[in-house]
Amino acid sequence: MTTSRRRFLSTVSAVTAGGLAALSSRAPRFLLESAAYGAETKGEKILVVVQLSGGNDGLNTVIPFGEEKYKKSRPSLAIDGAGGVVKIENGYGLHPSLRACEKLLENRQLSILQGIGYPNPNRSHFESMDIWHTAHTKPSRESGWLGRCFDAHKDTLAKAIDPPGMHLGEEVQPLALAARDLPAPSIRSLEQFRLETGGDDQQRSVITSATAAPRAAGNDLLKFVQTRATSALDLSRRMQASGTGYKTTVSYPETPLSQKLKNIAHLIDAGLTTRVYYVSIDGFDTHSDQAGAHASLLDQIGGALAAFAEDLAGHGQLDRVMTLVFSEFGRRLQENASRGTDHGAAAPVFLVGSKVKPGLVGKHPSLDDLDDGDVKFHTDFRSIYAALLEKWLGWPAGPILGDMWKPMECLA
Amino acid sequence: MPLNQKLPSPEEAWLPFEPTAAQPFGRREAAHLFRRAGFAANSRELDEAVKLGPQMAAKKLVAAEEGEFAGKMHSFAQTVLATNNSQTLAAWWLHRMLHTPAPLLEKTTLFWHSHFASSSAKVTDTRLMFNQNELLRRYALGKFEPLVMGIARDPAMLIYLDSATNRKTRPNENFAREVMELFVLGIGNYTEKDIQELARCFTGWEIQYGAFKFNRYQHDYGSKTVLGKSGNFDGGDSVKVLLEQPATARFLCGKLARYFITDESDLSPETIEPLAQKLRASDYTFAPVLETLLTSRLFYSQASLGKKVRSPVELGIGLLRSLEATAGLPQITDQIRELGQMPLFPPNVKGWPGGMAWINSSTLLGRANFVRQLVQDNDTLFGGISLEAYIDKLGWKTADQVVDSLSEILLAVPLPKDVRSQLVAQIEGGRDSRLTKLKKTVHTLGSLPEFQMA
Repeated sequence: MTTSRRRFLSTVSAVTAGGLAALSSRAPRFLLESAAYGAETKGEKILVVVQLSGGNDGLNTVIPFGEEKYKKSRPSLAIDGAGGVVKIENGYGLHPSLRACEKLLENRQLSILQGIGYPNPNRSHFESMDIWHTAHTKPSRESGWLGRCFDAHKDTLAKAIDPPGMHLGEEVQPLALAARDLPAPSIRSLEQFRLETGGDDQQRSVITSATAAPRAAGNDLLKFVQTRATSALDLSRRMQASGTGYKTTVSYPETPLSQKLKNIAHLIDAGLTTRVYYVSIDGFDTHSDQAGAHASLLDQIGGALAAFAEDLAGHGQLDRVMTLVFSEFGRRLQENASRGTDHGAAAPVFLVGSKVKPGLVGKHPSLDDLDDGDVKFHTDFRSIYAALLEKWLGWPAGPILGDMWKPMECLA
Repeated sequence: MPLNQKLPSPEEAWLPFEPTAAQPFGRREAAHLFRRAGFAANSRELDEAVKLGPQMAAKKLVAAEEGEFAGKMHSFAQTVLATNNSQTLAAWWLHRMLHTPAPLLEKTTLFWHSHFASSSAKVTDTRLMFNQNELLRRYALGKFEPLVMGIARDPAMLIYLDSATNRKTRPNENFAREVMELFVLGIGNYTEKDIQELARCFTGWEIQYGAFKFNRYQHDYGSKTVLGKSGNFDGGDSVKVLLEQPATARFLCGKLARYFITDESDLSPETIEPLAQKLRASDYTFAPVLETLLTSRLFYSQASLGKKVRSPVELGIGLLRSLEATAGLPQITDQIRELGQMPLFPPNVKGWPGGMAWINSSTLLGRANFVRQLVQDNDTLFGGISLEAYIDKLGWKTADQVVDSLSEILLAVPLPKDVRSQLVAQIEGGRDSRLTKLKKTVHTLGSLPEFQMA
């Protein structure tokens, strides 16, 4: 990262013929500022959000296998202690398909925040997802919690080379990223970070040198585009340098979620200044025959999270990347007549990284104290957001979330 | 062009530009006019415009009529609407931009789409988005008052703003807020109380089954006070009050200047003021104001030439129009979306922020790849023939002629000398066929910072 920044800076200096010092009097302001930005950063903290769409069954994710009531409520779906549950502590464990998370627990890289939700739970997918995305229980579709951060810090963020937020995927962009001033792009493939020349290296070098050649003074906007173009070509070169793909010894599972996280690891390693990445995985609305479908989804999540953490650690990036895994709601305790579960309320949230408070955090919600058949939340999701903003991304939470949310003690 | 050329003073800014020997109206200046007032021009159009001169060329753009084209596009749209596919409707609009005989009308319609932004991502009935698009086009160069009134009754807009109901006991402030902040007055020119009062004026304005309906039982017939004026206002009266505010014309002209003249927001309020007065004097009619703008000294000054970043639509449609290229529309639509501007899908009610926000690593590389894909695709035709035959037909023989003529057409800012020589050398040397070399030249030009400028 720092090396590439230096290379970027030297390009800027070369372009302006005489170095940054010579620039100072008449240089476009944003050039100097973006250079300063590049010089002091050693890699800012990054947040990766993994959205589980459809309402993940929290009770079969963090399983209270020691509790009779759980077994009774779920005649076909209950998984007992002998059924391969990944045991965490007395009576609680992860679904067997989250086996890959065992290593994250051992490495103290997984935090399982229990009983997360908000007052008067909304059981509509659309509305509850909006609540999570906007961090308002009466959401307006205007801006998301992350988008509001981008706007609040637009003066700094707009100077960085890359957009502050990025969504990877083909689905509609999540509202969480919606900003009024600094929109986040949706990226469908990493090909969008490669200059295509059909293998013609000469063409590539013509474009690169023609882009870097000095330009006449007098058009700051052109200079701005030139600086970004030079940096984009440098990024493309770095992305390409790894040959057919990103160099990693970690074997990511062949699932869409894993491949997206792998792409994010690649972008982070290539030195993008993006602070927030967003991906989602759909299919959690398991109203019927839940067992197989849910197991397969959890298997994808466990495999992807474990590979991603291992890969980031291998590239020395895990210390600055935090992954948040959430769903719009959990599911009902009592299984339904179709061997599935219906929309519920509170559920666990995962954080993955080297700076998390590891293991189970907070009490598992009581199965005896239900609200309309659903377990109750004891910790508002906005206190997790507050912690991520204040203690991770370094952005004051008050202006974004309102002042009533104290950061949850979930980071180490 | 002389550097450090003095920028026109506010008094001179909007006077007609008169070419001189030092600052002529040549192909480069004509190309500037077409890039801003439309979606770029081909070689023949540039020659015609140079003959007409800056005043007549702009008049012609302002007065251009769609003729039969409008009917054709309408019936084409009906086929698209039968499928209720918003992506296809976006492609329809791009097709329209590509082939319209009235590019300024279309360019201004796109301006209003970003000004009165609604998105198909929320308004799932594609016909409502189409109707809004027709509304924007109907008044694009016409009067502002009926445009605002149309928007106030527009089902797509009211659905988009969650304002399909507005009851007198609980006025919906969402639409009123955007009218104040984004549509008419601009931030800082009203109070929260004004928003609440304006919302009362629009009570009873509802959307039912996809159509506007005035529900008199829900209208608040009491007296309201908006921006210091009091009366038993309804929505229409309140719009008249807003149009009386001097801030309105300033706000709109500032936005028009950013769209047509420069992304850089350093045009002073004093510079904007004469144009704002003109807008008020014309009873908020846009055609004469745009004619003033597009023939002005400011428009042809260093404050404007090359001082905008091309939007993805301008870049994609502009490249196709300037080389008379034809390519698969679904593919073009897809690529323009990936560059960050899908028509009918603005990111939020504020529209596309534009300017520097178009530019990041993935969009810059995407822009270069877009140009390459277009020229490398053997199905792409230029004026119905191959790129080589097209360039031969235009009479560009030597490598110098090819590079200079292509630069004139494609680039808003001249190439640095050594880059130009490098491109000439690329055509003169090497073992590639002439066609391959020409494709590479267009690809290189289309990858440079100069091509990203409008």
